[in-house]
Amino acid sequence: MPETSPQVGLERFLPLKQHLRQGRYGALLHEGPGVRLSIRHPLSIVTIIAGKEKGPALSARFEAEYGIAAPNPRRMVKGNALTLQWCADQQYYAVSENRAESELYGELKSKLKGLASLSDQSHGRVVITVAGPAARAVLAKGSGVDFHPREFPVSSAVPTQMAHVGVHVAAPAEDTFELSLFRGFSEHFWEWLTEQAQEFGYEVV
Amino acid sequence: MSGYRLERGGLIKRERRLGFTFDGKPYHGCEGDTLASALIANGVKLVARSFKYHRPRGILTASSAEPNALVELREGGRKEANTRMTMVELYDGLVARSQNRWPSLYFDIGALNQLAAPIFVAGFYYKTFMWPPAFWEKFYEPIIRKAAGLGRATHEPDPDRYEKAYAHCDVLVIGGGPTGLMAALTAGRSGARVVLADEGPMFGGSLLSEIEEIDATNGLEWAQEVLGELASLPEVTLKPRTTIFGWYDDNVFGAIERVADHKIAPQPYEPRQRYWRIHAKRAILATGAEERPLVFGGNDKPGVMLASAVRSYVNRYAVAPGRTGVVFTNNDSGYRTARDLRAKGVRVAAVFDSRKNAAVPDAGGVEVMMGALITGVDGGLGVKSVSFDRGRGEEHIDCDFVAMSGGFNPNVQLACQRGAKPLWNEALQAFVPPDNGSALVAAGAAKGSMLVSECLREGAQKGAQAANDTGFHCKAAALPLTRDDSYSITPLWWVKESTSKAFVDFQNDVTAKDIPLTAREGYRHIELTKRYTTLGMATDGGRTSNINGVGILAEATGRTIAEVGTTTYRPYYTPVSFGAFAGPFKGLHFQPVRKTPLHEWAQEQGAVFVETGLWMRSSWFPRPGEMDWLETVIREVKATRGGAGLCDVSTLGKIDVQGPDAAEFLNRVYCNGWNTLEIGKARYGLMLREDGIVFDDGTTSRLSEHHFFMTTTTANAARVMSHLEFCHQVLWPELDVQYVSVTEQWAQMAIAGPNARACLQKICTDIVLNDQSFPYLAAKELTILGNVPARLFRISFSGEHAYELSVPADYGNMAARALMHAGAEFGITPYGVEALSVMRIEKGHVAGGELNGTTTAVDLGLGRMMSTKKDYIGRMMAQREGLIRPDREVVVGVRPVSKSDRLLAGAHIVARGDKPSMETDQGYVSSVAFSPMLDMWVGLALCKRGRERHGEVVQLFDGLRDIHIEVELCDPVHFDKENKRLYA
Repeated sequence: MPETSPQVGLERFLPLKQHLRQGRYGALLHEGPGVRLSIRHPLSIVTIIAGKEKGPALSARFEAEYGIAAPNPRRMVKGNALTLQWCADQQYYAVSENRAESELYGELKSKLKGLASLSDQSHGRVVITVAGPAARAVLAKGSGVDFHPREFPVSSAVPTQMAHVGVHVAAPAEDTFELSLFRGFSEHFWEWLTEQAQEFGYEVV
Repeated sequence: MSGYRLERGGLIKRERRLGFTFDGKPYHGCEGDTLASALIANGVKLVARSFKYHRPRGILTASSAEPNALVELREGGRKEANTRMTMVELYDGLVARSQNRWPSLYFDIGALNQLAAPIFVAGFYYKTFMWPPAFWEKFYEPIIRKAAGLGRATHEPDPDRYEKAYAHCDVLVIGGGPTGLMAALTAGRSGARVVLADEGPMFGGSLLSEIEEIDATNGLEWAQEVLGELASLPEVTLKPRTTIFGWYDDNVFGAIERVADHKIAPQPYEPRQRYWRIHAKRAILATGAEERPLVFGGNDKPGVMLASAVRSYVNRYAVAPGRTGVVFTNNDSGYRTARDLRAKGVRVAAVFDSRKNAAVPDAGGVEVMMGALITGVDGGLGVKSVSFDRGRGEEHIDCDFVAMSGGFNPNVQLACQRGAKPLWNEALQAFVPPDNGSALVAAGAAKGSMLVSECLREGAQKGAQAANDTGFHCKAAALPLTRDDSYSITPLWWVKESTSKAFVDFQNDVTAKDIPLTAREGYRHIELTKRYTTLGMATDGGRTSNINGVGILAEATGRTIAEVGTTTYRPYYTPVSFGAFAGPFKGLHFQPVRKTPLHEWAQEQGAVFVETGLWMRSSWFPRPGEMDWLETVIREVKATRGGAGLCDVSTLGKIDVQGPDAAEFLNRVYCNGWNTLEIGKARYGLMLREDGIVFDDGTTSRLSEHHFFMTTTTANAARVMSHLEFCHQVLWPELDVQYVSVTEQWAQMAIAGPNARACLQKICTDIVLNDQSFPYLAAKELTILGNVPARLFRISFSGEHAYELSVPADYGNMAARALMHAGAEFGITPYGVEALSVMRIEKGHVAGGELNGTTTAVDLGLGRMMSTKKDYIGRMMAQREGLIRPDREVVVGVRPVSKSDRLLAGAHIVARGDKPSMETDQGYVSSVAFSPMLDMWVGLALCKRGRERHGEVVQLFDGLRDIHIEVELCDPVHFDKENKRLYA
């Protein structure tokens, strides 16, 4: 049994850690890997649900504090210090990097007081980035969402299902998709995702 | 001519010779061949035996409708039974075997069935195997089962991968013949997203097999030009080898793409097949038409082929079906076959046209006999001659193949899969697709348009309409010029003058005579006729037989064909393999695997995991030297009750419930009250279903005025969340409440036992834990180990002085290790769900075995939790007569009278002296455990009037395992009845 001193090791444990080995896998195509896979970690994620009839006021508060209005359905917006992703009616994910533990949750709690309910999800979700020319083809093997650029342009964000797992998909940039899912499913999902990406060749970065 | 391969022509690559075997014998074919065309080239005519009579059969079609030429393809784990050789693209090293014959294709003992043919008539299995009744199970059924089916499936695992995928398009074009090409081109030029799918490896459809002239060039070259342009359009996707097999709600289509079926094995990383769901805004049915056989004596003999298939073999594959043929037709298209054969140098002895008064088309110099019928075919394993009747008595003519045409059936299947029936067209003598509105429209031969000019015009028209409907603009373009043939038909459903068996359904061996017989026996409705005769029920879906069957039934019952109508069309258009349905979700990935945030810690501790729903939970932690799980579990319970234990309970459902109306919301979903719960306190909650039965339980804590932290059982987590959403959105939208699952955010562990507090204190640096600062049912947010946010609850499932500690999931392993480290001096021991279960049974706490969807709160001994001061889900219905009956089965403890007896869950309770039966049954044992504290098996049971019967000795009856023992009914709390340990 490994001895772990309580005083050390306060770093967050990255789910999927054992699975993330950098390198190229699957078909070695001349034009390079079809997709690049990476994990955004550590990440701060907070669920924001507007209080009853507080939607407009909440949006105004977002504007005042972060310079962005609440995103429309199926959309995400990038603000100064955080990104807001629509995930259901009057419900959003606030996502931000480089924050100390619970800092984003605490900050939003004070800034959005009286307007919304908040729950810290930073540890509950894993965000996998799938990028590259074959990214859409890989996602099409799992989700019924139409990822064609005409239907799912940059800055889209929707909940869907892939491989029987609930996944929130956002498109932060051209040919780039972020898949956010419950951490408990992340190994299963990773195994499925990499199998689907094999034919295009994939690189773990 | 070498063998039956023609010297010139065809779309085969002669220089690419491919070796293959059929029934172990080696042959050669060319690239571009199908297995069928390659066998024809080698002069092989007999390829199969029929299902019921084991009659010799040959190749009937050159299409996916093939009923006869089915083989076992490949070997080992890749073996596929009932594969249509007309659809198998030849590859080097292909191995195929004939099926449903013994000992060989040429000498098949099963053919003796033909001698018994009189007993094998329609409905024979309803009549023949009735008496004596005792024979059914031991004799008749095993024989029928053995005879059932054609090929044999493999028992080895399939080594290949299968995928699933979704596609979306503005316009889906189904079928890549002249109509489909024109439709795709027209829609594609507008910029619409177009998917063009065809079941074959090459696009072109009939243009691959027919001699056509389009725009002063041949049809094939025209198709190549169109394909070139389609390939250059970025929003057009070409999907060869892709069969659209089903049409579903919302214009969703199911499709199977045979990615690597044409290879000996898939390339690395390549799936064998891909199962597509295609969401199409508009779809065009351009599936063409399938030729009908004629029904005459001996029409199933090897060498009798569809006339269009003969054209396909000579034109596309450059093989002759024989040396001398005859054509038998009731329409103009048969003449085309005669012309094409002559043009390729194959002798045609005669064209028999059943029509008496028709304008005679050009037969290319072949003798034409009008009003002539073939009445029989001679030859055992292949055609040798035919007998015919042109009004001069029986005549004979020598030939070794027959090309027959009974007209054409538009391939309407997909258009009818959502309930609309096809419409009878008298002029065409065929059913045409119903009007389905604009979502799916038919064009070309699929709509009954038999001329190439019509196909191109309709393809362009429908393609433009579909693209315009979806917001694109199609410019008018000139249509290609074509040279058309004419088409007319006079029906001939059955040559009644036939001298031998005339087949309607080749695969299920249904003969023409079976159909009037069925009608005479009362099964006049086509759906009944189908089931009684098995007409159209084989793997070919009756594509060559159904309409002939309808025609014969109409004649036999004096109705019109429109009155008889068709049977119901359902997916699948052609067979789809099970591997494709399963896709990648097999084995370990059959369902998602869900791991807790303490998984790595539990692994370090040597946990044995068990699947609980999707979760992998640690069930016990064996130590070296322990003989079995029970020994381990006993140690874990004793260590926990004797010192301290640590258990991963992260799988509990966790829901943040927030907002000004959160307390009121809980009041309505739980049967007990929540208004009075203080901040910083936890409470056990019980939820009922609308019908008054217990739904779920768990502890819910109040973290602040408007913030509650709800826990649910592992099993019901998702259901409770859906229930909350339903209640809020539908029943009480006026409540200002928000809730979200935080199950995965928190790693949760139970710390139980007399030393639990001491262990915890060492990591809880900012609170002094005692009964004042942290009494039973306290619930607080705090930090551990200096700065890790945590939630601590003093709650107990084990009956011990116990806590549950939540930390953000990424800290779970670390916190558990820290607790193990801190608790080492107190002998802290990890325990799994088995020990957890033992301790809850010792304490009489109800769980899944008792909360089983049939019990009320009163049944569980929790009746006092049902508030009388408020309304809640399930309150009214829980008062129903049957739910408050005094003799209901209620929770009671059970202990064996003889201390060494083992209890087993599921055993039934019967009063002493009663004989076990449905009438004397008084309940059953719901949970059992070996109690280390009492050194005996104890259990919980649901027993009639159980609470009044403590102390009564009853029988336990386990009929499955044949166990009879005596047990005493007792208080469900087996251990520490006074709850001293909880507060210790």
